[in-house]
Amino acid sequence: MNAPAILIAFPKGRLGDELVPLLAGTPLALDAQALKSRVLRIPTATPGVSALLLKGADLPRYVAAGVASLGIVGSDTLDEMDMDLLELADLGFGACRLSLCALAGVSLDELRAKPHLRLATKFPRATEAWLTREGLTAELVPLSSSAELAPLLGLADAIVDLVQTGGTLKAHGLVETAVLGRSSARLVAARGAYLSEPGRIRPLADTLIAALKGCG
Amino acid sequence: MPVRTPHFPDLLFGPAERLRRWEDALMGLLAAHGYRELHPSLVLRDTVPDGALRFFDGDELVALRWDFTMALAGLLARRFPEPPERVSYAGAVFRRPVQPWEAVERFEVGCERITTEGQSSTEADVELARLLMAIPGVLGLKSAILHMGNAALVRRPLEAEGLSPELAAEVVAALSRRAPHRVAQALEGHPSAARLSAHAQALLSELDGPASLAALSASPYAELLQEEVDHMDRALQALLPILPPNLELRVDLADVAGLGFYTGPTLRLWAPGAQQELAAGGRYDRLFPGLGRPWKAAGFCVRLSRLLDLAETRPDLFEQP
Repeated sequence: MNAPAILIAFPKGRLGDELVPLLAGTPLALDAQALKSRVLRIPTATPGVSALLLKGADLPRYVAAGVASLGIVGSDTLDEMDMDLLELADLGFGACRLSLCALAGVSLDELRAKPHLRLATKFPRATEAWLTREGLTAELVPLSSSAELAPLLGLADAIVDLVQTGGTLKAHGLVETAVLGRSSARLVAARGAYLSEPGRIRPLADTLIAALKGCG
Repeated sequence: MPVRTPHFPDLLFGPAERLRRWEDALMGLLAAHGYRELHPSLVLRDTVPDGALRFFDGDELVALRWDFTMALAGLLARRFPEPPERVSYAGAVFRRPVQPWEAVERFEVGCERITTEGQSSTEADVELARLLMAIPGVLGLKSAILHMGNAALVRRPLEAEGLSPELAAEVVAALSRRAPHRVAQALEGHPSAARLSAHAQALLSELDGPASLAALSASPYAELLQEEVDHMDRALQALLPILPPNLELRVDLADVAGLGFYTGPTLRLWAPGAQQELAAGGRYDRLFPGLGRPWKAAGFCVRLSRLLDLAETRPDLFEQP
């Protein structure tokens, strides 16, 4: 039996949109025809190496389980999930801030003074860490999308969410009141694949770093 | 997380036969090198760590054996005024899984090499490495990779810089992820940031053959670590001439797994394509002094449950019996 094909997990959505053009012309360029279809397993320009297109929140699980040998995912997702995988490089692109955002006119001090602060977020772990650092307590309202609506509709006093340009916030009358952390795309690897087959995996990791690092 | 039955695997005919055959073969190898079996009780009554499977026996909280080395160390420190030099073990341990796909009940075979004052640690380390090198052949693995590391390469610089336990844990976690950028992030603002970040870069720069040791010359702690480097070099010189043809020897300077336990050289056995290491061990010189005995020790454990899984999922990695 030949060695199984190597799978690389790429994120769908914002990060994926940024990285696909950056890989064009490299040995890991994604097959253009397959990209136009609805398939989620895409051949690359290197025989025996395919890309999986996955939702960011699912991607670390595929890599940690060794299904995909390599992957690219935002550090915000990694920090929330704390999976056992290797994080070989900070690729720099997809940079954004994890911020506390409230309706324009509501200050951080006003939020601090609330006896029962409610924060809506997709990032409970990072939010809890920030609350601990600040000596605050709050009720966390877990959401999986469209967090910007929560302060507008009274579901929460503020949100903790990723901010890249601030355009979505502005469209909803929200402003950043504090920056909790920063996120960027990371190259991750399955511990087993990287340590047991460095001769196969490291050259692919080096190709991704050469193509993507510093392109942000 | 609730524990469900797949975490307690039932072995049907093929895997059961394979487990019996491997256990016998490995214990035979160890016996041929002077290792005698000890079998600590399955139930531990004195120490009940968090990761153990715990239950009440009447009013008393007890745990199932969760680690052979710890169970044996307690037994040896209690029952032996002078330690046996070579001890082997075989059986199951029960440990709550870190990852959801890990079994709770795990079959292991392993050994401990205990030395007293005046006996050479280097010889004991080389003896264990030679034994580990023989294991792929005993198990019928077509090829394997032996990673040699040294816990002191990380532990000593962290201790020399006087990092707080929390900060040291952050740096170790970043190294475990092989993420130099996380090391720099953790150390931001600390006086040792530049030195430790440069050291992390040196540790992570190579994962190759014996020449990887040279990468440490770029570390600001090269002088501090000279003794460890010499120890690893001596071990490599002793092992390379007898390396079996199907075994590759790699130096993994950034191996920090078990850093709270290991104090010196570490060994990990992989098969190409395996998702988890198949055997692991190293020197742990602080365990017995902590139990009131001035003994040094090293050992390794073959993870038979992982090998059984690998034989099912990747039979192509094994010679057919």
